[in-house]
Formats: sequence, C-alpha cells, structure tokens
Amino acid sequence: MKKFIYILLFILFINCQSYANIADYNAIQTHVDSVGVRLLNFNKIPKRIVFTYSDETKADLKQKYKALKNRQIIVYGKQYQFIQTDDELAGMLAREIATVMKSYSGMWGGSVDAVQVALSSKKFETVADKRAVDYMVKAGYNPLGLIVYINKTCPQKRQDVVARHNLTSKRLARIYEYITYKYPEYLNDNEYINNQYYQNFLLNSIENRRRLENKLKTGTVGEIDYE
Amino acid sequence: MNKYILIILSLFISLSVFAETLPYNFYDTTRVPIRLSIVNEISTKDALTEGQNIELRVIKDVYYEGKTLVRKGELVNAKIETIITSGMNGFPAEIIVDDFEIPNIPDSKLMSTYYKKGQNRCLWVYPLKWSLTLIPFVGSLTNLIKGGHAKIKTKDVITIYYYPNWK
Repeated sequence: MKKFIYILLFILFINCQSYANIADYNAIQTHVDSVGVRLLNFNKIPKRIVFTYSDETKADLKQKYKALKNRQIIVYGKQYQFIQTDDELAGMLAREIATVMKSYSGMWGGSVDAVQVALSSKKFETVADKRAVDYMVKAGYNPLGLIVYINKTCPQKRQDVVARHNLTSKRLARIYEYITYKYPEYLNDNEYINNQYYQNFLLNSIENRRRLENKLKTGTVGEIDYE
Repeated sequence: MNKYILIILSLFISLSVFAETLPYNFYDTTRVPIRLSIVNEISTKDALTEGQNIELRVIKDVYYEGKTLVRKGELVNAKIETIITSGMNGFPAEIIVDDFEIPNIPDSKLMSTYYKKGQNRCLWVYPLKWSLTLIPFVGSLTNLIKGGHAKIKTKDVITIYYYPNWK
C-alpha cells in the first residue's frame, strides 16, 4: 500500500512540474507575442509573421532559415534569458521582423531577396539594425533598448574582414549614429542615462562616438570607418 | 459579505479588461489612393542621408465622399527612412521612403511605406560565379560586380493609401 502511495505521489509530482513548465512557457510566449504583435500593428505591417518561443539552444542558421522561409520568428531560450525590459525584447524582435520583411518583397514571391539576405549577412545585418530602430520608435519603444540588448548579448570578435558578421562595436556605433540623425530626442531626453548596461556601451564606444562627433562637427557625409 | 465584495471586484476587473481600447482599428477596408511623384530626382549615387526630407507633388486630385481631400499639384513632405547601398555580386541598392505628411490626414490613417530598388544583377552574376569557380580564384572576381543604384525619378508614380475610417 505504502509503495502504491509513493508511486502515486511521484506521478502527481511529475505532472505538477510539467504543468508548471507549460505555465512558464505560456507566460514567456504571451510576453513575446504581445511585444511582437504590437510592433507589427503599430508599424502597419500587412504581412503574416508568427513568433515562437523555444527553449532549444540557439541555432543561428536555423533561426535565419525559419525567418526567411516560414516567416516564423523563433526566440530561443538562450536569447530570452538576456531580456530584461520590453525595449530589449522589442529590439530583438524588430530585427527579425526586418529580416522577414525582406523575404516578402521582390521577385518570385521574395525568394530572390531571401537568398540575398542569407548570402549577404553583413550588409543586411546593418539594414536589419536600422529598420529595427524605426519599428521600435513607431511602436513606442525606446530604440536605445536595442543598443543595450546587443551590447549585452553579442560577443566582440577580433576582425570582420573574413567573417559573416560585422564587429559588434561597429553595429552598435552605426545604430547610435542612426538614432543621432533620425531620433535625437531619445538621446537628448535619455531615459537610459542611469542604466548601467547603457553606460557600459558609452564607455566602450568612446572612440567611435568621437568619430561621429567629428562627422557632425565637420558636416561631412558618407560612412564612418568605425572600429 | 466578503463573497459579494470579491464578485463585484472581479466583475470590475473583467470589465476594465474589455474596456481597454487599442489606439488602432483596421476593420474598415475602404481606401483612397493618393498618387504622388517626386519633385527632384534622388539616387543612392548621390549623398543621401537617412532621415532626409524629400518633396513630392500630388499628381491627381484626391476625392472622398464628394469632397476634395488633396488637390493636384499640392506639395507633400516625406522622409528617406533607410538607404541600402548596392553590394557585391550584383546586390541592388534600395531606398525606403515613409513618414508622408499629407495636409489634414493623420499618419495613423495612411499605409505609406514606399520601396525603390536598383537593378538586381544577382540573377546572372551568381550563375556566372558558379561556372567560373571551375577555374581557381576566378569565381571570386564576380564580387567586384555591384548591383544597380536605386533611383526615384520624377516620372515614377508613388501610390500611398488613405484609410478614412481608421482611427
């Protein structure tokens, strides 16, 4: 009899745990959906894009493939663990929305553009970063959240000459420049000034920001050679 | 007594949830096209900046319910949202224009993002690249072929849509 009760209790315990896991997943999925759909609606994006939370470890290629082929944005557990604010989540999702939108335009139902995005990673990485800033602003999120998110999550490689991705410091500097030109109000009335992660970005981007200040002072046009 | 208070409280909470209204409502499908053309031609070849203002002209009177909304010849401002420069292997440049400021029409009632791409040379550059890879290092030479510049000409018709019954 005792044995039977123990087994019953064990089964109950396992069931309770799986229900708790489902509830946790549901809470995260709801969070991802609400921020993602807000981005779509406020930007009046008339295309279908779905958001899926997965606790799998992040697979970069698989993520891009799903975004370009299925128009499905997968948020992996490893990415979500870095998210602390809605702005940061919006930054992450807005980048993926920008990638998916490229797969909707152009020849053969967007197939050609999708291939281009996949093959020209560095170029479209910058484009996705910029479009993400626009999407965030229109949906009422602070674009500095994207800087904080990238600063926290993306490692800094040694070089990007022979690489599929830009140096993270370059990406951050370009996003900062884009915000400086298009949405200076977010820098003038800076809500992130007391955010330690943002301050860390300011600290590690001194040299690049000096180059931008120089560009603004001299009024030159063209791309800055960020480091 | 406590039970009643709880019921009233839960009713109040559920009602307040339903009462929450979104700042948009896309139910209505009625739309009015607004046709525009750019005043001065722009191209990614020139020194364009993101966020730069551009001027457009209405090319046809816009009517809704018998009233003239926008007259032909009226000037409208818009912004260059994003510029994608042309890249290796024939990737074309692209200009994205948005933030159209039409007099008396709020932005929330416009579907207005406009894209213009340059010539996409990937379709012949990639087959060429793959056929040249048989000779070592020669395939990489196609990296030097860039895509076409994006140009918005004065004769290009830019159509954006006004949804009068949206919020």
